Amino acid sequence: MGEQNRDSLEERSRALFHDSVENLDMRMRSRLTQARHAALEAAAAPSHSWLPRKAWWMPTAGVTAAAVLGVALWMGTPAVHHAVSFADAQSNLEDLDIVASSDESGDALEMLQDDLDFYDFADKAANTEPAA
Amino acid sequence: MSRFDTLHTAWMDWDGPTPAREGVVLEYSRELEKFLAEIERRAFRMAQVALRDADDALDVVQDAMLKLTKNYASKPSSEWRPLFYRILENGIRDLQRRRSVRNRIMTWLPGPKEDPDNEAQDPLESVADAATPIPERLMQDQALQQLEISLRALPARQREAFMLRNFEGMDVAETATAMGCSEGSVKTHYSRAVHALREQLGEAW
Repeated sequence: MGEQNRDSLEERSRALFHDSVENLDMRMRSRLTQARHAALEAAAAPSHSWLPRKAWWMPTAGVTAAAVLGVALWMGTPAVHHAVSFADAQSNLEDLDIVASSDESGDALEMLQDDLDFYDFADKAANTEPAA
Repeated sequence: MSRFDTLHTAWMDWDGPTPAREGVVLEYSRELEKFLAEIERRAFRMAQVALRDADDALDVVQDAMLKLTKNYASKPSSEWRPLFYRILENGIRDLQRRRSVRNRIMTWLPGPKEDPDNEAQDPLESVADAATPIPERLMQDQALQQLEISLRALPARQREAFMLRNFEGMDVAETATAMGCSEGSVKTHYSRAVHALREQLGEAW
């Protein structure tokens, strides 16, 4: 096989191939353009593909963890402790009621009124100009 | 230094306001799109020659574009072409393997067998270019058909070497990167391909 024939084969096959590339029909050119744009868009937003897959289990996992924690606290706490806590809470409410209805609260209000009168007097005294 | 490297270096040296980074990314994205637009038709035709099916060829080209942009876009632009063709050839080989397995399974199943040569052709594809006289176009189509048949008859590695070197115009080093072999192997595959094509196509070529 001569070198010239070999070159001729290469040149002719190359010309035929490039001719077929140039004569690609419009439909295929359009599909290639769409494929290119799809590839570039997919590469531009890499995080969007995995985010929904990652996100779907997060609420489920949160609810499950909260449920497990609630059950663990409920089951792990002694029943006596519940009763004591409830009694303490009730006792605190009663104390609050006693304090609110106490006669001493009226005394405190009277003292506050006295203080207000004093502050009013002090304010006037400060603003009054001294006599010449 | 590639344009991407130049842009990257410029960005690293930039001490101005932040929006410059967006400009670099935009420029780099444009460069990638330009590269793909420039290469896509030839890549498609090469895949079509190997796979004998336009839809399959389009699928492997799109897949190669996607993989290049996702995994290798950060590489210097001078490396994109061999990387792209390496991905493409891997895709072609995978598809051919899947076809081979499918055909083996289909032979065990009852029903009509598919004739791989009997492909549904788009009527528009066979419409001749009005600017070229019809007999010349027919002769070219016939010669192209002969060439494609001969290329398909070659061993895959010889076909790859011939198409990358001769159709894509890659040098030996680029072809070796694309094929994942040594430069010596590329030369051997190419030489054998030319010899085999000469045998099949005859002295008229």
